[in-house]
Amino acid sequence: MALPDFYWVVAEISELKENYAGHCYLELVEKQADEVNVSARAKGIIWNKRYLFLKSFFENSTGETLREGLKILVKVKIEYHEIYGLSLVITDIDPSFTVGEMTLKRQMIIKRLEEEGVFSMNKELCFPAVPQRIAVISSKNAAGYSDFINHLKGNLPGYVFHTSLTESAMQGSETEKGIISALDKVSTNLNLFDLVVIIRGGGSQSDLSWFDNYNIAYYITQFPLPVITGIGHDKDMSVADMVAYKALKTPTAVADFLIDNMTITENHIVEMSVEIKELSRKIIEENRNRIEASKTALLPLARLMISDQKNTLTEKITEIVNVGKEYSFKSGITMANQKSRLYSAVKSFISDKNTIIQKVRLGLIDNTTDLLSRNSIRLEGSEKTLTILSPENVLRRGYTITSLNGKILKNSEELSINDHIVTRFIDGSVDSTVIEKKVRIDEKETIRQPDK
Amino acid sequence: MAKKEFSFNEAIAEIENILRNIENGDLDVDTLSVEVKRASELIKQCQKKLRSTEEEINGIFKDMD
Repeated sequence: MALPDFYWVVAEISELKENYAGHCYLELVEKQADEVNVSARAKGIIWNKRYLFLKSFFENSTGETLREGLKILVKVKIEYHEIYGLSLVITDIDPSFTVGEMTLKRQMIIKRLEEEGVFSMNKELCFPAVPQRIAVISSKNAAGYSDFINHLKGNLPGYVFHTSLTESAMQGSETEKGIISALDKVSTNLNLFDLVVIIRGGGSQSDLSWFDNYNIAYYITQFPLPVITGIGHDKDMSVADMVAYKALKTPTAVADFLIDNMTITENHIVEMSVEIKELSRKIIEENRNRIEASKTALLPLARLMISDQKNTLTEKITEIVNVGKEYSFKSGITMANQKSRLYSAVKSFISDKNTIIQKVRLGLIDNTTDLLSRNSIRLEGSEKTLTILSPENVLRRGYTITSLNGKILKNSEELSINDHIVTRFIDGSVDSTVIEKKVRIDEKETIRQPDK
Repeated sequence: MAKKEFSFNEAIAEIENILRNIENGDLDVDTLSVEVKRASELIKQCQKKLRSTEEEINGIFKDMD
């Protein structure tokens, strides 16, 4: 059975090696629907001269190098070698098939992230005002990393940044694992960082498709800090770039972005500071003007008020004086009244009293006269009695008065024997000497009166 | 862990708030001086943070690794 000279075959590269002579040996597989199990496998060879041509043709057309994991459409010739066995000698390649495959794969990743609702989650995070503490995910030896560090630390405004590098493969099949474990490591120290940057250097356009990776993209969307990428190139963006908070073309651009953000923040602060200063000055000025205006307005007002008060005061004084005058005038009248009333009262009192005195006087006179006349009558009677009782009259009636040494004797006790006594009669007297004295004499005999 | 960190965002928010109050004329002269003083302190702290020495920042990272 005759075989055709060539076939167009679709296969996935599962292994690719170049040997010392520049020949390319590949393992081509066809995978089952699960994308893991292999359903067909074949050896492929690209001879060195052909390989040089196809390689650059493919790279120029797809932006990708021929590498494991890519799906390709190739024109093959079947050869059999006694030692090496059956192999497919590749003579041509259709890059547009790979581009389509890659695009399709990217689109499926994007669609899945969108369907899961996570696509823009990292973009929705709040970007720090001061992106100062930076977790860098890169490869230490990558030119891009040192560009980034030099550019960042040499920034003109003199801002200070701190960077902490977590290393990862930035291309090849280890990329997915490396990026994810680096993100994991950063996530254990989230409070130490303001953001994450994923950078790699130098325009290797071909390896971009390593970041068209669902797991890397998903990790970025779920990361709690903003992720900035600097892995892209001029033409295209990887899915990782699309879901990152911000995708920039180069590490240097990332550094500029961070410096710019610091500048924006500082300008904002300076502007606010200036504005606060100006507004405060304005407010103070306004207040000063208000005080001045009040002062200006106050003086005449105060004068007016004082003069008002003065007038009121004068009026009051006049009023008080008048009231006082009126009062004292009224009081004068009252006093005069009182005086005259008092005067007439006293007068009438005195006259009343006079009348009474007069009456008493008259009464007294009457009574006294009466009393005197009555007493005079009585006196006359007494005179008669007295006349009757006078010693001469008594002597005349026959009584005598006996005296011793000029002293009238009223009883015999006063006399002793041989006393010289004088007995007086109406017509003369007789001197006698006491011869005898009867000691106890009857009372009747002593006061015996000649009439009885 | 480090002591309570100066929060730049909070500081900015506070400065903005003070500025807004001043703009709206909500402050009397007494409060104004207090607020302006506070704002200038915050501004100073913010600017210090932007240019704080690397040693200061590196101190924060001691816990790592």
